[in-house]
Amino acid sequence: MTTNTTTVAPPGAPEGAPRAGRRPALRRDGRYASIFLAPSLGGLALFTLFPTAMALGISLFDWPVFGTRSFLGFGNYSHLLHDPVFRRVVLNTVLFVVLYVPLNVVVSLGLAVWLGPQIKGRQVFRVLFFIPVMTPMVANVMVWRLLFQPGGLIDGGLQSWFGIDAPNFLGSSNWAMPAIVAMSIWQGFGYNFLVFSAAIDQVPQSQLESAQIDGAGPLQRFRYITWPMITPSMFFATTMTLITSFQVFAQPFILTQGGPGVATQTIVMYVYNQGWQFLTMGLASAAGWVLFVIIMGITAIQFFGQKRWVNYDV
Amino acid sequence: MKATPVRAHRWALKTGMAALSVLALTTVAACGGSNDGSSGSSGAADKADLTWSFWVAGAEDQAAWQKVADQAHTDHAGITVKLQGAPWDSYWSKIGTTLASGKAPCIIGMQSLRMASYANAMVPLDDLMKKYGMKAEDFDKPIMDGLKADGKQIAIPYDSGPMVIFYNKDMFKAAGVPDPKPGWTMDEFKAAAKKLTAAGKTGLVTTPGDLGTMSWVRTMTGAEPLADGKLNLTDSKFEQGFSQYADFVKTDKIAPQVPGGNPDFETQQFTGGKAAMQLNGPWSLIDTKGKVKFNLGIAPIPAGPDGSKTYTAGSGFGIARSCKTPDAAFQAIMSMTTEKPLTTLAEAGRAYPSRTAAHPAWFTAAKIDGAKETIDYASEHSVPLVTSKNWVQVADLLNRFGTQALNGEIPPDQALKTIQDQAGAGS
Repeated sequence: MTTNTTTVAPPGAPEGAPRAGRRPALRRDGRYASIFLAPSLGGLALFTLFPTAMALGISLFDWPVFGTRSFLGFGNYSHLLHDPVFRRVVLNTVLFVVLYVPLNVVVSLGLAVWLGPQIKGRQVFRVLFFIPVMTPMVANVMVWRLLFQPGGLIDGGLQSWFGIDAPNFLGSSNWAMPAIVAMSIWQGFGYNFLVFSAAIDQVPQSQLESAQIDGAGPLQRFRYITWPMITPSMFFATTMTLITSFQVFAQPFILTQGGPGVATQTIVMYVYNQGWQFLTMGLASAAGWVLFVIIMGITAIQFFGQKRWVNYDV
Repeated sequence: MKATPVRAHRWALKTGMAALSVLALTTVAACGGSNDGSSGSSGAADKADLTWSFWVAGAEDQAAWQKVADQAHTDHAGITVKLQGAPWDSYWSKIGTTLASGKAPCIIGMQSLRMASYANAMVPLDDLMKKYGMKAEDFDKPIMDGLKADGKQIAIPYDSGPMVIFYNKDMFKAAGVPDPKPGWTMDEFKAAAKKLTAAGKTGLVTTPGDLGTMSWVRTMTGAEPLADGKLNLTDSKFEQGFSQYADFVKTDKIAPQVPGGNPDFETQQFTGGKAAMQLNGPWSLIDTKGKVKFNLGIAPIPAGPDGSKTYTAGSGFGIARSCKTPDAAFQAIMSMTTEKPLTTLAEAGRAYPSRTAAHPAWFTAAKIDGAKETIDYASEHSVPLVTSKNWVQVADLLNRFGTQALNGEIPPDQALKTIQDQAGAGS
């Protein structure tokens, strides 16, 4: 839009001298741009920036929904820092991310490579693997709860076939988080599978074939041809998965309600409980800001780090 | 391929915004925190269009409750009540902020266990009761008391009920265990439960819900969760009672291990015929009877050293402080809790009515032998469960750490200490 011939300086004009023809055009462009951007920026300011700033303000207060509000300064943040439950909640969230993200990427990439262009009927598999992504999370979780609970399908099956009890997956502190991760991977890998699958389809067959003729094995072909070409997709998938996994809520909320104890409570659940259940908005806002800072920090690190491994030249 | 990184940027931006929206939601709620504002109603004492916020389970439920609301219009031609229904969970998510914003509907549904949190935002009804001649003695006393805060009546109940044992008569018969009678003891209960625990089935099913847990503790040692309005879970009598309750799962193994986060587990196990007994309220009795394929019986909670002791809970209707026509709203509530609508609800098997005059209709609908004898006995031996202002948090913590205590992951007294530490300050 801004490529305009009037922006070229007249011959012989001294460097840095005012360019008489440029300013009105720029101003005009700026005006149009402002008009087009206004609805979007207005929405951003009203529904995102203002509430974000407001939440920062609220986080500095003891802000019960009922009763008197009082200024605490960084009191809510200090409370979070010293609260063993919140520390455990942060740890749980990190544990979920550390387990979920690599496993999700490995499963989805593995299946995408396995169901390569040479496989017949791969479209059917693509649809099948994507179904859990499209199904409402609540429905998915309800089914998994019937699998996991005492007397459920797993427990019942083990008892009738082998006469042994299954672990109490959702009631045991050791098993609850792995159970949530397993359910989440089943539910979520289909999305990354599609992303990787589309990226792999773009790798030129001619290059793979010539590498094969030159004696490269399947692992070498993947390592030196496929992998560099899919790194932008890999970057996209890992960034997205990381961000969404830090925000995990529905799975533990419905499957275990954060229990037993606080073994599966995550930061967003903590925010929800403090804000909507216990009506302490100040603490909820402070916890929300802690999550926001963590996500922004990690996303920034990923963006800076991508230069080292993401290949945009192919 | 080239487009992917750009998409990644966009998606990252979008998701960053999603992170912000967590904060945004919090803030939008808090923005409504001013105390001025107006109600959605208008009119005088005998003329008003009122809105009633209440929990409903679906379209059929909504229609049944709208009929209750219509009673107000039948009794007072100038008053109309429009039901604004929401599912149980979202009702409680919204009602706090709506009340605090001063824009709540005039008539509010209120549950006795949660009332302490919201009482400040509601109108005390004692003067209105006097003014319009509503008699407290026409209602079950425990639930009238349960809907009081600091001695003031905050809501008028429509249902009530003491916690009682639901049992599977067929399983009792097959195991050769006699049907329990009012006055049965804890030893008799345990002996029956042990005999019924066999072949993958258990004598009891329990989860650490607030009402159930507190009832078990009360019958075992008489301990109550609050002392002088403050949470008192680390009291030695409460610890002792809770420990004995946890033993049902942990050491006696008369109940299955508790899964985390499934509030329906008890009902699923009981109605599925996998457990012979559960502790439940009369409000669930007729619904449970419709679901099960066995003969259903009820009995009072077993007697501990000082006899059978249980808790009563129930729900009712109150008036938001922001309501500009409290007189009209009160007259509407009076109509909605008269014998006629409560009898209609009872005949439909919905709730055990709070008004004693409507009880016979409910027992007729229930068609369960000994139901009247049991519920009358349990009512006499019950008190309302008085809760703290942060009871929702207490119940949440009890559910989390109680599960660990019952499953034997942590000692019961440690669970109680954690709950007390986390919630004690806010009680």
